Amino acid sequence: MNTIEERLWSYIDGTCTAQEKEEISKLIQEDKEYRMVYDELLSFNQELSVMELDEPSMPFTYNVMEAIRTQEAQKPLKAAIDVRIIKVIAAFFIVTISVLLIYTIANVNWSAGNTSAVEFKIPSIKNYISKSAMQGFIFFDVVLALYLLDGYLRKRNNLKTM
Amino acid sequence: MQSKLSDIELIEETLAGNQSAYADLVKRHQRFVFTLAMRFSKSREDAEEIAQDSFIKAYRSLAAFGGQSKFSTWLYTIVYTTAMTFLRKKRLNTSSIDDEATFIQLESQNSAFDNNLAENKSRSYYLNKAIEQLLPDDAMIITLFYKGEQSLEEIGTTLGIEPNTVKVKLFRARQRLKEKLERNLKHEAKELI
Repeated sequence: MNTIEERLWSYIDGTCTAQEKEEISKLIQEDKEYRMVYDELLSFNQELSVMELDEPSMPFTYNVMEAIRTQEAQKPLKAAIDVRIIKVIAAFFIVTISVLLIYTIANVNWSAGNTSAVEFKIPSIKNYISKSAMQGFIFFDVVLALYLLDGYLRKRNNLKTM
Repeated sequence: MQSKLSDIELIEETLAGNQSAYADLVKRHQRFVFTLAMRFSKSREDAEEIAQDSFIKAYRSLAAFGGQSKFSTWLYTIVYTTAMTFLRKKRLNTSSIDDEATFIQLESQNSAFDNNLAENKSRSYYLNKAIEQLLPDDAMIITLFYKGEQSLEEIGTTLGIEPNTVKVKLFRARQRLKEKLERNLKHEAKELI
């Protein structure tokens, strides 16, 4: 059962149904007690509506923006690298390795019978890639491996500190 | 011109790299965010820290704001969680208003403060004092409803509760506030006599 105050607050807030609204409106007009409580709550409601907000200190916005700028400046280079670039590089290597693997397996002479005698025909890349390009490729692989290792160790370290 | 932009437009500009657009958003919402923070912490310094942390968190997660709700509702959710975390960390005393000892303590604090402002007391002053004596959740609901232009549904989203529960909580919070206000005014009348 709703108390008078509960019903009147619903009426003031406009959260009651149309039927309830009509009933309460009638009660306010006819019932002295309802009228008295309604006037009291209405005045209290008005006071709450006009209460003032607190004001932060003058340099508040500046402080917030300064804190954001400081955090942005501290962001490591690692976080600034677009993840999509890393994904594209990873995809390139995965596809290259997969193609080489499939090509190699497809060219195996399985009819030899003896597994030790199975011939793997790895395609010759000497004609396509120069020595310096190969060195660069290996160097890039090493850097990428170190980057992934760094990421893994950082994650593990973060988990430990949490 | 910048101040006429909507919250969503300012967010888009911020995401495009214009930090001054975010400064405009902060200016627009800082008073209300600070008031909400004050509902949890009675100290201005702590409230500023809560408000500042909330804006920084909002900035960092701005890209995740999908626009399904109003920016203010989303921001107030961040303020609420930041304030709760802050309270837990600081272990502030958030004892019940029904606790007699708390009331006596608050009454004595008020008396000391009141004596300094004897002539200048308005009803709104007592209202603010009564709000300060409420539990943070009660004060937050009242502030969100009256000053945040938030519906019961939006308050429910901010606090993570059902709109019907918000309605009941709002009713109880107003009742407690009314009792507090009347008690403080009676106390003041006695002091003057």
